[in-house]
Amino acid sequence: MKSNYLKILIIAAILSLSCTTKVSEWFLLNSFPDNYLLVYYHNSTIPESIARQNKELESRYKTSNVLFRSVLKEEIEKPYYALYYNNRLFSEYADYLSLNEIEFSPVREEITSELFAGKLCVLFYLKSGDPEKDEKGLQVLKNTVAESPFGNIISIMELDRNSVEEKHFVSMLLNVESDLKDIHEPMLFGVFGRFRVLEPLLAKGISEENINLLIDFLTADCSCLIKDNLPGISMLCNAVWENPRPAMVNNILDENPTLIHH
Amino acid sequence: MRQDTIGYDSLEARPLPKWLTDQREGLNTYQPEVREMKEDHSLSISLISTGVVIFLTILFLTIWFLKKNKKRM
Repeated sequence: MKSNYLKILIIAAILSLSCTTKVSEWFLLNSFPDNYLLVYYHNSTIPESIARQNKELESRYKTSNVLFRSVLKEEIEKPYYALYYNNRLFSEYADYLSLNEIEFSPVREEITSELFAGKLCVLFYLKSGDPEKDEKGLQVLKNTVAESPFGNIISIMELDRNSVEEKHFVSMLLNVESDLKDIHEPMLFGVFGRFRVLEPLLAKGISEENINLLIDFLTADCSCLIKDNLPGISMLCNAVWENPRPAMVNNILDENPTLIHH
Repeated sequence: MRQDTIGYDSLEARPLPKWLTDQREGLNTYQPEVREMKEDHSLSISLISTGVVIFLTILFLTIWFLKKNKKRM
């Protein structure tokens, strides 16, 4: 009898602990990023030089969340590469060279290291190219984060949407929702866990209230509803997510229990 | 991604992300039912009732045996 009681008690304790882990920490520790699919479409036998390049791509992607496939499609005029996420076409690439650094870029590396260091999130500001609008949204973002009790564990990063060096990353961000490419407004993406990107706040939506709701979302207890229905999409990146640093949010909540919310 | 099918006429009318509206309305907070241990007396009841049955059986058999053999004694 006593051992049964003990077992039930231990299981209940584990269950209750898992539900008090914060959203940002839970997804960093437990949620694997979704895979992308890169397809090489060809209309005839693959030449040896291309086959060698494709093999190199496959080995390059071993530590990235992308799978590679070759597909014979006789009706196409020219071979090409296509990148899919959850059966949705993100981009097409004419040749091997245009795939250069598709899984890696300096900004993505920086974001990965911030998340790996235990930061709550990275608030990524994608500029529209209109200086007036961009500055206005950026000021709201900086002021709100500065006033937040979690401000020290939130990183703010910004990027121009026309950046050539980060074109693959920008393309993926603009594919988070199908209409983003046509909206030329500043966008704020919440990045957390293993490079999960939330659907962005846009233009006037970049407000103090909404940014605080974003922070609340990431500092709340991780409910089963969120686990089962995770918003946003995973970014393609080259990263090994094992043994990240402890989540900094727990220190803040331990010191200020009044900030704990569900 | 979940907004992909929702249409809108202008940027002003574009819906906010679902994660944000759920957070604002407190819809993200669903947690599984907290499991509480209930006191289980079934084993004690079973032991006591078995003991009572055994005791009554022995008592009944003893009385029956004594009565039956009273005449001989």
